[in-house]
Amino acid sequence: MKGNLRRDDNAGVVGNAALSVASLFFIAIMIIAFTANPVAIGTDVGERAPDVEGKAYNGTSWVEFDFESYFDTEWEEGNKSGQWVAIIFMDTDCPYCQQSASSQSQWASTYSSNNPNWNGPHVNFIASATELDIQGHESDRAEIQEFRSDYNHNFPYVDDIDQDNMKEWGIPGTPNYFLIQPDGIIAWVSDNSNEDLEDAILRLTPQDGA
Amino acid sequence: MPYSASLRRTVPNLLDNLLVAAYLLPTLFGLILVLPFGKSIGDKLAGRFEIMGTERGRITAGLQIITFFGFAVSAQTFWISSKISEGGDFCSSSAVFNCDDLIGNNDLNVDPVFGLSWGMIGMVIFALLLFMVLVLKNEPNGEYTERFLNFGSMITAAGILVIMLLISYEIQEGKICLYCTTAHIANVSALAGFLRLRKLHEDKSLWKAKPNKD
Repeated sequence: MKGNLRRDDNAGVVGNAALSVASLFFIAIMIIAFTANPVAIGTDVGERAPDVEGKAYNGTSWVEFDFESYFDTEWEEGNKSGQWVAIIFMDTDCPYCQQSASSQSQWASTYSSNNPNWNGPHVNFIASATELDIQGHESDRAEIQEFRSDYNHNFPYVDDIDQDNMKEWGIPGTPNYFLIQPDGIIAWVSDNSNEDLEDAILRLTPQDGA
Repeated sequence: MPYSASLRRTVPNLLDNLLVAAYLLPTLFGLILVLPFGKSIGDKLAGRFEIMGTERGRITAGLQIITFFGFAVSAQTFWISSKISEGGDFCSSSAVFNCDDLIGNNDLNVDPVFGLSWGMIGMVIFALLLFMVLVLKNEPNGEYTERFLNFGSMITAAGILVIMLLISYEIQEGKICLYCTTAHIANVSALAGFLRLRKLHEDKSLWKAKPNKD
């Protein structure tokens, strides 16, 4: 038994070095853990909404869309002054999108700070218009402009004909809705939900007298 | 731009540059120490730091500085990516020197195979290198010496491929992340240091040289 034991002259040096580096690593991780509170970026409730990129039609021209400008990271839950975001992923040739488009224009005008009868926060509506890989769904910017005009929508339409945003958000089909808090955290997702966007707005946004 | 707005942009920019310099300058000092022309600086410091009295000691000291600050700047990038996910911004004050668009980009800030944060990978790698450098420094003639010299050279050489991938991301995005660049410089400097130590190890008389006490 004794013959199998081997003296390791380097054990002390290796052990000390390992202990020093492990301590350094632990301290660094603790500092990061105590000073940062990372939030996963994704499309589930509680995650930070991914970016939406591209040109947006605002009723007069196509301009660079700045999704981040809609959010205030300092917003705290219950604060009624923050503006919420409802984003609609749609295809101008999708029959379900056409059916729900009238409701969307009604919701956009109802849940707005311009509506004196609405006692909740302003909800900014945004549409991300894609072109689904289905025959007859070919789309272009002119068609998006026409769709927006036909349904009297006054909110921006982002050109997602290349499906970049749709893929980034993992959208399985259209229409697909997300309600996002003023701090950019997703509050509600239409997928697998029996609730519609309007009910979600009424349930989740802070309102006077509620 | 109004003066107050200009000042608000300039102050964070200045602090940001100072923070990068706090990592970059010691890394460059470490690089000088591991290179042949660092001998004159090593000789000047030898009176105060005995380790600088030999070639091996000087390179090891340089490597220790490089790997420590490589670890620190990697931890900083990991921290920045965590802060950006909270919704904050950290270093987006300039159009070109903008690390938020790179470290904050979910597709680019993780490795393409396991999805681990590049900052975290940097921390682990530099911690491992620092461990090997500490063992080499304290037990230069130990049984692990040759293994660690080879291992350190291989890890840092493999790091060059990662650096090339990350630089391709910077070109693609048209942005430069100074924190990432500092970590890249640390890796290249560490490679130079390990290669020089390996070469030195082949010459046993130089490797085992004692500091001149005169």
